[in-house]
Amino acid sequence: MHFEGTADIGAPRERVWAFVTDPEKVSRCGPDVQRVEVIDPTHFKVVARAGVGPIRTTFALDVVFTELRAPEHAAVRARGQAPGSAVEMTNTLDLTDAAPGRTTLRWASDVVISGMIASVGARLMQGAADKVTQQVFACIKEQLEAPAEPSA
Amino acid sequence: MAVHIGGIGQSVPRKEDARFIRGRGNYVDDVKLPGMVYLDIVRSPYAHARILKIDKSKALAIPGVLAVITGNDLVPLKLAWMPTLMGDKQMVLPTDTVMYQAQEVAAVVATTRYIAADGVAAVEVEYEPLPVVVDPIKALLPDAPVIREDREQKNNLIWHWETGDRAGTDKAFSSADVVVKQDIYIPRIVVASIETCGMVAQFDKVDGQLTVWMTTQAPHAIRTVIALVAGHLGLSEQKIRVISPDIGGGFGGKVPVYPGYVLAIGASVLTGLPVKWIEDRSENIQADSFARDYHITAEVAAKKDGTMQALRVKTIADHGAFDAAANPSKFPAGLFGVITGSYPFQKAFVEVDVVYTNKPPGGIAYRCSFRVTEAAFAIERLVDILALELKRDPAELRLQNFIPPQAFPYMTTLGWEYDSGNYAGALKLAMDKIGYAALRKEQAEKRSRGELMGIGISSFTEIVGAGPSKHFDILGIKMFDSAEIRVHPTGKAIVRLGVKSQGQGHETTFAQIVAEELGLPVGDIKVEEGDTDTAPYGLGTYASRSTPVAGAATAMAARKIREKGRLIAAHLLEASPDDIEWKDYKYQVKGVPAKSKTMAEVAFAAYTNHPQGMEAGLEAVDYYDPPNLTYPFGSYICVVDIDKGTGVVKVRRFFAVDDCGTIINPMIVEGQIHGGLTMGLAPALYEEINYDENGNIQGGTFMDYLLPTAMETPNWETGKTTTPSPHHPIGAKGVGESATVGAPAAIANAVVDALAHLGVRHIDIPITPWKVQKILKENGVAE
Repeated sequence: MHFEGTADIGAPRERVWAFVTDPEKVSRCGPDVQRVEVIDPTHFKVVARAGVGPIRTTFALDVVFTELRAPEHAAVRARGQAPGSAVEMTNTLDLTDAAPGRTTLRWASDVVISGMIASVGARLMQGAADKVTQQVFACIKEQLEAPAEPSA
Repeated sequence: MAVHIGGIGQSVPRKEDARFIRGRGNYVDDVKLPGMVYLDIVRSPYAHARILKIDKSKALAIPGVLAVITGNDLVPLKLAWMPTLMGDKQMVLPTDTVMYQAQEVAAVVATTRYIAADGVAAVEVEYEPLPVVVDPIKALLPDAPVIREDREQKNNLIWHWETGDRAGTDKAFSSADVVVKQDIYIPRIVVASIETCGMVAQFDKVDGQLTVWMTTQAPHAIRTVIALVAGHLGLSEQKIRVISPDIGGGFGGKVPVYPGYVLAIGASVLTGLPVKWIEDRSENIQADSFARDYHITAEVAAKKDGTMQALRVKTIADHGAFDAAANPSKFPAGLFGVITGSYPFQKAFVEVDVVYTNKPPGGIAYRCSFRVTEAAFAIERLVDILALELKRDPAELRLQNFIPPQAFPYMTTLGWEYDSGNYAGALKLAMDKIGYAALRKEQAEKRSRGELMGIGISSFTEIVGAGPSKHFDILGIKMFDSAEIRVHPTGKAIVRLGVKSQGQGHETTFAQIVAEELGLPVGDIKVEEGDTDTAPYGLGTYASRSTPVAGAATAMAARKIREKGRLIAAHLLEASPDDIEWKDYKYQVKGVPAKSKTMAEVAFAAYTNHPQGMEAGLEAVDYYDPPNLTYPFGSYICVVDIDKGTGVVKVRRFFAVDDCGTIINPMIVEGQIHGGLTMGLAPALYEEINYDENGNIQGGTFMDYLLPTAMETPNWETGKTTTPSPHHPIGAKGVGESATVGAPAAIANAVVDALAHLGVRHIDIPITPWKVQKILKENGVAE
């Protein structure tokens, strides 16, 4: 499945870059994230719940920044397992200045889901994954545009 | 008298139903042994992936988890791979690569079923995904990833098989007046038996005895396979006892050996405890042997007058990641060569390329005698396409072409000797019963009003009862079958057989054969099957072989008893054995009906007053090697109405005329046909397993894999003709599979017939409302 989109964020590019490449911060925007463990600055593990309809399961994801070109381009690969299911994701993020203090975030995501969730929920998957992806980027925008956070 | 004793031809109520309708059947999952533990299986989410790491630690930390078994644990035992029945090998558990989704990756043994499932969830497996091949046609391309790197041959072709006269067939085609050609895909389906597969394995560490209760259609063959595969571990054949208790439907899906069976045995040997493994429904659909999955291109050459001359068929068969079908050794594509059907083709050529893909293995004979459903569907579709091409009525074209009754025994151009048949008789009866002429009239009227109604015919020939041992074996074991009859002193008897009922009613029908042959009431005869310690060796029940082979063995064993009984009767009647005849179900002195002895009297004498010099007792064994297969046939006519709004096909009427030779129990045969027709309706309109491009199964639960319920199933109407098999001791043929084989083409032909005026020539099954509605929309007739 391929998804892509653009978000216009009311924050300067450096701040957006710092947010989206910070495992702790960006993970907070993942769906139903339960735990984040930073191994090193480019490698972290995330435990999150995901699924389609009533079929939900806990995924343990290995996330790696495979490309980091501050403050304009990043590529992230995530690979994860859940009992009977597996997910493989490649995301790219490109940042450009939209206007002073505003940043355009273009993103693309290729997702391959295998196993039980893919079998049982095949007909619902595109919609469900699309929704999750939209939520993630809406969350990033919201977090960055929020008034100064004390401990963000 | 035949009525009184419940002999051949009587609708004797099924003896086994007394326990089934009371819920007192005894299935594998009903077996509960003291100290029994449970096995559950970790399965691959990927269709193709390298295994980087398996971490058992979290699973082993769960209280109650006793063991986690991986492929590497099986390597020193030489059990990581097992041979298949097709000369290939199959992983029990992988050591480095998984090749299809839901493949077994590890096994967890625990004290309860729930803890075993928790253990499965806690096993962490790291995979590196590999390129997936799901399309067998793409798998044959030169740049396709090689699925089986363990083979010397570095491509995905498993084998090529061909039969017939290629040059002669090509020549016939080049000079033919008319040629019709059609691509036909027969989709992958599963047998969906009510009972899933399972086993209870009990290994006694003291005496080395292994007892397994198992869902198998062929217990003796399984015992031999266990001895061959695990003999090096000390499991020798005299210490292996395979018990096949009541089985809730087999349909070919319980012939193969699945990794779960091997794992359950291994786990019992490892722990010294009885181990139970029962599949859940999704495992059964996703990982057990599939059926069909044939990509057929078929062509018929004919004269302008409709005479069919030659048949040319090319097939690509998707066998999944391991070649684990269960066909006889010399017939890797099974009995697909029966594809010339009910017609006297002068020339034919058939070839099959079998291909590996990243899908579960199989290619089993789902309620059909080894690829016969595929063959019957293709030829019966082709005949209709030819009729359309020639603007002929499909019934009339069939009647013109059928092999005539006087031509039997008939040798087909592909080398099968049809034993007996009257194809026109069956079709004419079906046409008469359903009112064919009136239906055609009704169809013409409806068509003029824009209503969609279709009539479809299928006049199939089946080939069952493998088989003559000179041609048929599995793993070298000849496909004979056996029966042992013991008549007790009080005139009661026990019959033990090498076959195994999965719902066919053997306890009744085999007792009826003995009743007929020995003149004992059917209620006095007990039939026992499925325990390798007590039953004589046999190859099991599948491919409609029980009645043709074991039924014959039963009759022959009974006749051996009757012959010995004649000597005893002569002794009792003080007559010469030559003067004793078997008449009216008893021994009589020729010409003196008053001087007679019943079998019960003779049996008593066999133990109390047998002639000097004769061995006491009254028992016999027969290992029957049939001289030929049997060829049941039938003609089915189906009437459908199509909803122009939804595209839903409604089967309004379905008349099935079957001919299976001598009928032992008409009620059971009718039941077999009703069930078979429903299992023929299912793939025609509902069932299919497909995969997405990543190898994710798209029909892995009953949510997505549609089976007809009572709501979808029409009222089946049945009739019969009787053309006995000339070579079978009682003239019987097999019938268990005829309806599954014959029905799909009748339904597909009816749907195409309803849409033929729109230019439709073929629709691949299952003919779903979506497919029909698309056609209706394209032609501007959808409502």
